[in-house]
Amino acid sequence: MNRHSLCWLCCGLTLLSTSAYGDWGLDASAGVTYDDNISNSLDADDRKADTAAVIDVSGGVHEQLSGSTGLGLSLLASSDTFAQYTGLSDIGLGARLQMRTKFGLGAQAPWLAVAAQAMYRNFHYDYLDGWRYEAGITAGKQFGERWALRATVRYDATVTTQTPPPLIPTLPGSPYDVYGWNLGVQGTYWLTGADLLSLALNRRTGTVTTVSPPDDEVAEYADRAALNTVFGGPEVAYRIFATTLTTTLTWSHSLGERAAINLLYAYSRSRAPNDLGDYYANVINLSLSYAFY
Amino acid sequence: MTPSLTGRLIVLACVALPAIAHAAKLGALVSGHDGKPLANAVVIAVPEDGQLPPLTKVVEVVDQIDKEFVPYVKPIRAGSYVQFPNKDNIRHHVYSFSPAKKFELPLYSGTPSQPVLFDKPGVVKLGCNIHDWMLGYIYVAETPYFGKSAGDGRVQLENLPPGRYRVRVWHPRMQGSEDATVQRVVLQEAAPARVEWKLRLNPEYRPRRAPLPGEPGYR
Repeated sequence: MNRHSLCWLCCGLTLLSTSAYGDWGLDASAGVTYDDNISNSLDADDRKADTAAVIDVSGGVHEQLSGSTGLGLSLLASSDTFAQYTGLSDIGLGARLQMRTKFGLGAQAPWLAVAAQAMYRNFHYDYLDGWRYEAGITAGKQFGERWALRATVRYDATVTTQTPPPLIPTLPGSPYDVYGWNLGVQGTYWLTGADLLSLALNRRTGTVTTVSPPDDEVAEYADRAALNTVFGGPEVAYRIFATTLTTTLTWSHSLGERAAINLLYAYSRSRAPNDLGDYYANVINLSLSYAFY
Repeated sequence: MTPSLTGRLIVLACVALPAIAHAAKLGALVSGHDGKPLANAVVIAVPEDGQLPPLTKVVEVVDQIDKEFVPYVKPIRAGSYVQFPNKDNIRHHVYSFSPAKKFELPLYSGTPSQPVLFDKPGVVKLGCNIHDWMLGYIYVAETPYFGKSAGDGRVQLENLPPGRYRVRVWHPRMQGSEDATVQRVVLQEAAPARVEWKLRLNPEYRPRRAPLPGEPGYR
């Protein structure tokens, strides 16, 4: 998928918008995120922490094709503004296509959704610029009034548009081109009529980028490497294969029918093969979300 | 031979005036356990002698406006019909699983050609298969003597024949059964009766809300 794909999605959005019964929606959220290992570093001494202001906007149209199946097409925009490591600041623009079907009648009927998403992200550090793709299948069901469960299989890939000069002749290419398979489950529980608690577990298997001072041990297991100056010093970005387990706990409090305040905590632990080691990250996000219509 | 106008008026007076002349009133106040007045409570008065006026064909309306059922609670008499016009510019898919009335109006816009008959007393919970947060109730009463509380929690029933009644209340979020709320009252034309309830409520877990972070898509 590339820019042409995004154009096709925009055309689809235009076509859906001409539908007599298309339902338009616009959601936005703004918040602050703190990440204590923004560099994905293996060693404690190399870890970099930073705070970012985050804005996400999603607007599009939903067309109900039948009583059980609906098609949604949305344009996505995002912005991350980091306080210290400004090279990581970016703006993104993309689109998302989703088809969702319910197997039965009622709020508790199980459902299945197939979704694909593409977003171009433009970073201050040019070598990070590129496309982020996601495609996956999610199955979900509500149990009673207070419980909901969903499971997701998703593939993600990041393809950068610029390739930094190779640092090691045998490791060409961009270390920021990563891909992975995600397997996730999420449980949501209504604590009160206004408060939702969500616990999500995600296992990602694929490539990740880790940044550290030049390290022979990492280089031994990396398949790509390049000089990285995002964090000030001359460090190296490596691409390695890893399995990442992420646990995310989210509390969301409704402020009326359209707004909610959300507090998210995520703990990620990545394990590289060959006893290279683990790296972990703690992420905290506080946001206000609003559904305009 | 066609009856004269005077004759018609005499007949009408004979039929209508006794009922109006002997009409009694019942006032009710419904509040939560915290004392705050409760809207959307249905107060039902059932005459103990079982005497009810004959049923006439009535078509009530429950709208769908801005992806909500309007009104949220609609009390009707058993044997009434309800029309479900969709006043949004999108389609809805209305259904109910309730034992009092199971029905489905598949994906539609505008007004369905036929209203739905509700002939069995009980609570009918309404939903929309497209918009899961949409929730509404039709309370099907076995008597024509009922009313719904407004924001002040008050219900005023008028033009009831004097006599003994069993009066109860129902609310979508009430704890316990409505049978436990029954109060016996004697209605007299000269002295309006008053009843009062304080209800414990269950929270509502399906409110319309903003999306969770990272969960784009249609709600």
